[in-house]
Amino acid sequence: MGEPKIPLDLILEKMAEDVEKAKERVSKASEVLQGRLDTRLAMTPYEVVYEEDRVKLKHYFRNENAENKLKVPLLVVYALINRETMLDLQPDRSVVKTFLEGGVDLYMIDWGYPKRKDRFLTINDHVNGYMNNIVDFIREKHHVPKINLMGICMGGTFCVMYSALHPDKIKNLITTVTPSSFDTDKGLLHVWMRDIDVDRMIKTFGNIPGDLMNFGFLLLNPARLMIDKYVGFMENMDNKDFVENFVRMEKWIFDSPDVPGETFRQFIEDCYKKNLLIQSKMYLGGRRVDLKKLTMPLLNFYGAYDHLVPPEACNQLTKAVGSVDVEDICFETGHIGIYVSSKIQKQFAPKIVEWLKQRDQEDVPVAEVPSAAGRKKASAKPLLKRKSSATVAKTIVGKPKKSHTSKNSGRIEGR
Amino acid sequence: MADEDLNQQFKESVIFPWLQSVADVWLKMVQTVPPNSSAMLKVQTALQERFSQQLDTNLNMLKSFSKMIKPPEEKSAAANAAGALPEIFLKLAKSGFDVAMEIQKHLWEKAGKIGQRTEAYKFENLDQEIFKAFSDVYQNELQQYFKIPPLGLTRFYQERINELLDKHNIFETTLAEFLSILYLPMEKSFKVFQEKLKEMAEKGEIPAATKENYAMWLKILEGHYMNLFKSADYTETLHRMLNHFEDFLIVRNEVIQDFLTMMPVVTHKDIDDLYKEFHLLKKRVKELEKRLGISPNALDQR
Repeated sequence: MGEPKIPLDLILEKMAEDVEKAKERVSKASEVLQGRLDTRLAMTPYEVVYEEDRVKLKHYFRNENAENKLKVPLLVVYALINRETMLDLQPDRSVVKTFLEGGVDLYMIDWGYPKRKDRFLTINDHVNGYMNNIVDFIREKHHVPKINLMGICMGGTFCVMYSALHPDKIKNLITTVTPSSFDTDKGLLHVWMRDIDVDRMIKTFGNIPGDLMNFGFLLLNPARLMIDKYVGFMENMDNKDFVENFVRMEKWIFDSPDVPGETFRQFIEDCYKKNLLIQSKMYLGGRRVDLKKLTMPLLNFYGAYDHLVPPEACNQLTKAVGSVDVEDICFETGHIGIYVSSKIQKQFAPKIVEWLKQRDQEDVPVAEVPSAAGRKKASAKPLLKRKSSATVAKTIVGKPKKSHTSKNSGRIEGR
Repeated sequence: MADEDLNQQFKESVIFPWLQSVADVWLKMVQTVPPNSSAMLKVQTALQERFSQQLDTNLNMLKSFSKMIKPPEEKSAAANAAGALPEIFLKLAKSGFDVAMEIQKHLWEKAGKIGQRTEAYKFENLDQEIFKAFSDVYQNELQQYFKIPPLGLTRFYQERINELLDKHNIFETTLAEFLSILYLPMEKSFKVFQEKLKEMAEKGEIPAATKENYAMWLKILEGHYMNLFKSADYTETLHRMLNHFEDFLIVRNEVIQDFLTMMPVVTHKDIDDLYKEFHLLKKRVKELEKRLGISPNALDQR
């Protein structure tokens, strides 16, 4: 093959023009970068109402005078990877704020930063320990037999396990980008985790370092996450709002707590390698997680272009559970886009508020404060009766895109 | 008479003149070293004297020792051993030379294949021969030196250090291989980008804006990375690199622990044992709390 004939003169001429523009941008950017920037995140006020070891429970303040308030409180469970601050990243794109404005009484678990002493904590300790204690705390505080539960990513998987083991305590379940079926080759994580020597990892690190996991996530799409993202930043660094939001995202994305070793081991072995959860063969604390016992209404969100938890890992759940009221919603976005993309923001949180309101009408027996044992099983009125998996309500939101990794996913979502 | 003959024979053998000449060389060298300055003169002279005296003493001891060897068979054995020394050195040198030649041969063979890279967007059977050659040579020719059993009081620690060096070398090789694979899409994407530009130039459709060119290259790069990450070779190299990294860290931590145990500080191992006991104890307490109907939060409030 000969040397390609490229009109270098044209390209160089254009580059010279670009250099001029870049000069202007840099001088403006230096003002922005040296000026006062507000890059704080998670600014919605809350109070910590419960603490156990490293785990905290945040309770957000809602307007008690607002109309149309939800009676049943909602507990949000984030993953052990990264932090729950993502739901309140910036004032104009805050899931937390939308929930509060919608009348939701919102609680959120802050898993904290696991230390070496936490390396022996298992999934059972998180699900049947911390989560169960927190659910009981909220039920007792509000005098309700059941609460609403929402899980994000790995936190969603924990919520699925919890709801199957404690269906008497959960009124409605919302899962978002939640992996439940791990036997798929669509996501690179699923392929890479299959042959990983998890025992050696635990022996080496104790807890799995957050930085190591972040490095792995960056490797999933280096072209976008290590090059294009920062090219985008250079192009917009003269825009104060852009810079502030970019730094907020950078702060969040690299704020990665370590994952307790034993929890990581079980998650990889039982879920990624053996795919036990979706088959109802997983055991926690000696009890089988039978998905058929998960009978409350279920709303399941996932992203069509999610390269961490692909749709194939999420969309099996509604077919496997025992619930009759189930709904799948697929957004045309990636893993984080569901929570932070300005377009999806307008649909995602309002949909949850609406869905919960439709299922909040039933009176909760306030007088009957539930005790830990021998609680009455409250009956739920299913909105959508399902006899077979074919009747699962499924919504695809947005137009399909050509590429699985939109430019947006690199710049805004970060992953 | 016969004894005298043998003594004479021994004196005429290899070892005695060799020993004498070596001692003379060292003694003369020590005595003729010029002092650097008057300030150092006293110290250096004292040191020289001490060294030459020590050397003289050692030489005399050796001479006496050689005279003590009476039986002819011992003398001839010693003479034979001395005669064998150059042979041993030669053998060692030959072995080292062979290793160097082997390394060079492997590298030349594999380096010749560097140009024969895989096609664009294809990442099966990657040309990583140069790294395989490195690790082959290392495992076959060099690793064995780290496995020589150490002796003596500090043998345990020497063994650990050798293991650390060994694991470090292996990790470095696999890391280099992994990084080289990660770089492949860059290399390929530039090539494809160049071809694409040529095609477009021929059609007169070349994008004028730098941004468009960049977007085109980025898309090509992304495509290459996606294909690479799905390839079995990449997954295997990634896991191999991770495993060797972890092996290295495990041994490194053990070496650090060896040093820490000499100091009045606790090690990770001690703390982990304690944490485990603590974890089990906490579980039992929580279980008891549950049975007694005590909320964990209630205890904090008291």
